[in-house]
Amino acid sequence: MKKPKLFAAYFRNNGLLLGGIMLFLVSVWIVIMILLPQIFMLDYSFRPNPVNLRPGEMADDYTLKNYRYLVFGPEGASGMFNTVDLMVFVRTIIAAMLVTVMNLILCYPLAYYLGQSKGTGFLRLLVILLVIPYWINEILRAFALRIIFGDVGVLNGVMMSLGLIDQPYDFINADIALYAGLGYAYILLMLFPMYNVIESLDRNQIEAARDMGASWVRIHRRIVIPHAKPGIASGMTMVFMLSAGALAAPQVLGGTSSLWFTQLVYQWFNDTLNWQQGAAYAIVLLVASIAIVLTFMKIFKVNMGDIGK
Amino acid sequence: MRSNIFFGRVALGVYLIIFFGYLLGPLLVMGLTAFNSAAFPSITPWQCYTYEWFGVLFQDDRILNGIKNSFIVGIGTVILSVSIGLAASLVLTQIWPRWRSTYYTIIIAPILIPGVVLGISTLVFWRRVSEVFGGNAEFLNNGLFLTIIGQSTFIASYCMLVFVARLQRFDPGLTEAALDLGATHTQAFRKILLPFMRPAIASAAVLAFLASFENYNTTTFTFGSYPTLTIELSQMVRYGINPSISALAVIIVVLTVFAALSAEVYRRRSKIKSGELKPRKGLPAWMVGNVATILLVLLSFTVISMAYTAQAYSPAECKAEYREARRLENQAKIEALRAAREAARQNQAPVESGPQAPASQGAGAGAFGNVFAPGNLEGKTGQDEGEVDTAPPPASPFGNVFTPNNLEDSSGTKGN
Repeated sequence: MKKPKLFAAYFRNNGLLLGGIMLFLVSVWIVIMILLPQIFMLDYSFRPNPVNLRPGEMADDYTLKNYRYLVFGPEGASGMFNTVDLMVFVRTIIAAMLVTVMNLILCYPLAYYLGQSKGTGFLRLLVILLVIPYWINEILRAFALRIIFGDVGVLNGVMMSLGLIDQPYDFINADIALYAGLGYAYILLMLFPMYNVIESLDRNQIEAARDMGASWVRIHRRIVIPHAKPGIASGMTMVFMLSAGALAAPQVLGGTSSLWFTQLVYQWFNDTLNWQQGAAYAIVLLVASIAIVLTFMKIFKVNMGDIGK
Repeated sequence: MRSNIFFGRVALGVYLIIFFGYLLGPLLVMGLTAFNSAAFPSITPWQCYTYEWFGVLFQDDRILNGIKNSFIVGIGTVILSVSIGLAASLVLTQIWPRWRSTYYTIIIAPILIPGVVLGISTLVFWRRVSEVFGGNAEFLNNGLFLTIIGQSTFIASYCMLVFVARLQRFDPGLTEAALDLGATHTQAFRKILLPFMRPAIASAAVLAFLASFENYNTTTFTFGSYPTLTIELSQMVRYGINPSISALAVIIVVLTVFAALSAEVYRRRSKIKSGELKPRKGLPAWMVGNVATILLVLLSFTVISMAYTAQAYSPAECKAEYREARRLENQAKIEALRAAREAARQNQAPVESGPQAPASQGAGAGAFGNVFAPGNLEGKTGQDEGEVDTAPPPASPFGNVFTPNNLEDSSGTKGN
């Protein structure tokens, strides 16, 4: 066996005490904090809720009924499918994708500008200005947008005093506030990975392409974007996962008639107190968003190792 | 060609303004609402400049308790996730190449897992563990413990990324040399690796604290009976709010700007010390000729002077004026109603239940009320004061200021 030897090399390099502490910390993190909780949650999602067991069913039994509920609704329901929850799910995924693409379009020019300009005082000021909103609480950021988009909010006030509209427009129920809030919440996670990779692009490449007569569009398509691909993928992955899993912005900015999928999970846990059902919903959300990210990474040929750089 | 460049510059400027407007505009608006005396956070009906919401904030026990819990959780999370992140990044540099990508995928995953999932799985897992231990492991279900564990799960990944970036520039030869010269592993770690990693540890700690302080998605499932500041804020936002939240935001923004500017000043100073930058001539030595210092001084001055004037300043007079304006406006409306009734030759004028009388529009009064409407004063003299208490507030946010009939009717009643 090779392994004992390798462990011996590890301890020779780090010493018994330090190596032991490091190994202990890492295994606590990986096993007790990352892997086991997910496995337990998966297990939990296959258990019936002990409060409303069917006759003959034990609390320790495994069952698929939590997942069945998401697809077909409660037993004996009139419809074929649980259209309400399924629609919420589909809407969440699609809206999260839209938010991701919106952020990409909004951030790319700035990332390019910041990455390709020489580090002047003005640029440092821009970076400081960028970071400030990120230090503000997520709830407060959503709340700030609510002040702007609310019924008696700033936007309605301004538009009404200009005479553009005579009734307050309901931005909240039209979900405009929600999309703006989600984009706002995670915009920096799109910007900084792209900025980092574009900064590492050699300016001479662009100069050379320009000298040889490449058009502006062509320079971006053939040089900048291929170089920035890991950063773009990293940013898009993070924005998509975080907005699909967002809870604060939908709770503060969401309309009364439309829910975000995480709000359903929250309701199962905190209002209905059916944790097993909530765990099943959470698993569905987790698996679906990971599957989507992996699919897109496959299509655009990006490696997992690029994420987070 | 030149016009092309000019066009490009204008486009860039417009784009930058839009981008930063989107990023900073909401914060600016929220900041302004902290100084408006309107009971609901808004700026469009601007009432009176006031500091009272800061007072309300500092007397709110739930907020203060939330801040305390947030600090406890934050410190615990910083300690746990910085040490885990450091260990994980060191292991990453030494792990067998064959396992490397699997290992990396696992430790990067917590960043990508939705926060609600992390919160739920932490809650479910530790509930099970405490069941195994029976009744004598209650601390495993404690909100502070669960929140620290849940948050550290993904914050450790952030820290790990910071350390990996720094470690790429570390020369392992240094440690080897120390070991060859007879240092123990612990000594080599403490004397060589740790000093090299210190800047990264500092920034990872700041990052971890901030991430913990603002976390909502994970904490909302794990906090138990120890609500953090974010949890309290979310409840305030959902169930009734007043601008003291905005006051809190103002404080956070000011602290942030202060920290950012100080860091910038510090950076400049150390650059000047090392000779990379030359101080500009004609300025006092402490100013070292950079914008950040000046801004920092200005900011401190503004904050201090605001805190000072807040002691003496009282918006009571302005508020009384505002109330008076509202009262006059209401009166004008009542009279308008009454005149309409009279014109229709109805004997009774049930003002209270009139069809035009909307209820509960307290916050929607006009920005300037009817202060400037000339008919107001006349109308007031022609009426007794008793009507005022039962008067309905104005309907639209701008009252009836802009409707022309308003003036005619109220001056018309004067004749009666």
